[in-house]
Amino acid sequence: MTVHDAGRALRKIGLATHNVGDVDVQTLVGAIGTGTHGTGYQLQNLSTVLIGMRMVNACGEIVEYSFEDDPEFLRAARVSLGTLGIFTAIRLRLLPAFQLRRREWCTHIDETLAHLDELMAENRNFDFYWYPRSDRSKLRTWNPPDERPDQIPYAECIEDQTGWSHEVLPKTRAVKFDEMEYALPAEAGPLCFQEIRTRVKERWRKEVAWRVLYRTIAPDDTYLSPAYGRQTVTISLHHNAGLPFQEYFSDIEPIFRAYGGRPHWGKKHTLKETDLRQLYPKWDDFQTVRKRMDPDCIFLNDYLRQLFGETRSNKMTTNNKRGGM
Amino acid sequence: MKAIGHTKWVIPGGHIPGTSTGIEPEFTSFDQLCILNTSKKEAEIEITIYYSDQEPVGPYPLKVSPRRVRHTRINDLIDPLAIPLDTDYAAVIESNIPVVVLFSRQDTRQTAKAIALTLAFPAE
Repeated sequence: MTVHDAGRALRKIGLATHNVGDVDVQTLVGAIGTGTHGTGYQLQNLSTVLIGMRMVNACGEIVEYSFEDDPEFLRAARVSLGTLGIFTAIRLRLLPAFQLRRREWCTHIDETLAHLDELMAENRNFDFYWYPRSDRSKLRTWNPPDERPDQIPYAECIEDQTGWSHEVLPKTRAVKFDEMEYALPAEAGPLCFQEIRTRVKERWRKEVAWRVLYRTIAPDDTYLSPAYGRQTVTISLHHNAGLPFQEYFSDIEPIFRAYGGRPHWGKKHTLKETDLRQLYPKWDDFQTVRKRMDPDCIFLNDYLRQLFGETRSNKMTTNNKRGGM
Repeated sequence: MKAIGHTKWVIPGGHIPGTSTGIEPEFTSFDQLCILNTSKKEAEIEITIYYSDQEPVGPYPLKVSPRRVRHTRINDLIDPLAIPLDTDYAAVIESNIPVVVLFSRQDTRQTAKAIALTLAFPAE
């Protein structure tokens, strides 16, 4: 079931998730398992809605967990990239269905940055795009329909729409793109963005016309959540699918890393286990849970082996040990 | 007013200057299309971009409301692919109804701003 389908199904019974990302075509469990998020200074990522699940573990057993009975397991499982088992049913923390007024505004990026703190604080959901070939910016705000009817004096409103949260938080996109996104400590966001802006204008405007997106997330305590333990902003780069993206992303990625960035688990990045261990205070705790749940690494593909520092010889060793050698 | 213009226009000399001087977006170097639709019907435009060293890319879809003019910077077109700066290209503009197409270039690579204007070639 996709995030979009889940939103429609929940609405029919009067419920909603607290937030939805900009894109809603991925599966709901995939979004949860990768720490996918929307935007909102006081809103945690989608993974935090998970409060229980039924799953098939590596032994083929059907087991159930809940936050009430085993909160530490849930803190590991919420963002686990499918490595702990196959979720067959999930229990979610939800809200009564609610409506939001979505507005989009155009202004100059300098105005956006000058008012960034108030924009983040005064809107339930807020993010902005920066257009590298014009230095213009698009602000997007979502608020309860009866709140904040006032204008933004330094921006022109170009879209005004009210609807159920699952309808107006995401946006349908027809053009395919590649993306790199990093989650940064909130206080580092503006400086990191400015450094990226400068670099893109100096080196990448010839090829890059797609916008850069700046969003916010509240902290959480999920072991592998990119927002673990810190108020967070995310900055994402986009490039047309079909155009070479590697050089562009590779040039910007060190800037993200210099500001303590943690990569989005579902988007482009080049980090491996040795890099990731330094970014996540609960990395070893997660690995302990993962190895307990799946000692033979049957839930790891080649990509996940790299992320978690597991080689095929490690698996052989484990198998041999289990075989009594 | 009835539709004025043609349904196919050609700009053979596209080349977005690679750098800019001054405050943006006012002084950003750009190539721009100005499309006039005098009819009572929405103009559905498709742009195909030709290059000197690769196959054409397109169509880039664009709509112009009835009895309106629309200015579109080539720099900003990303669907289906961003058009590279500082690269020779040509554009073929096809419309479902007659329109008028003006092509303009703002070049701020040096501090004295330069602007060039020309009507596109009306092919049909």
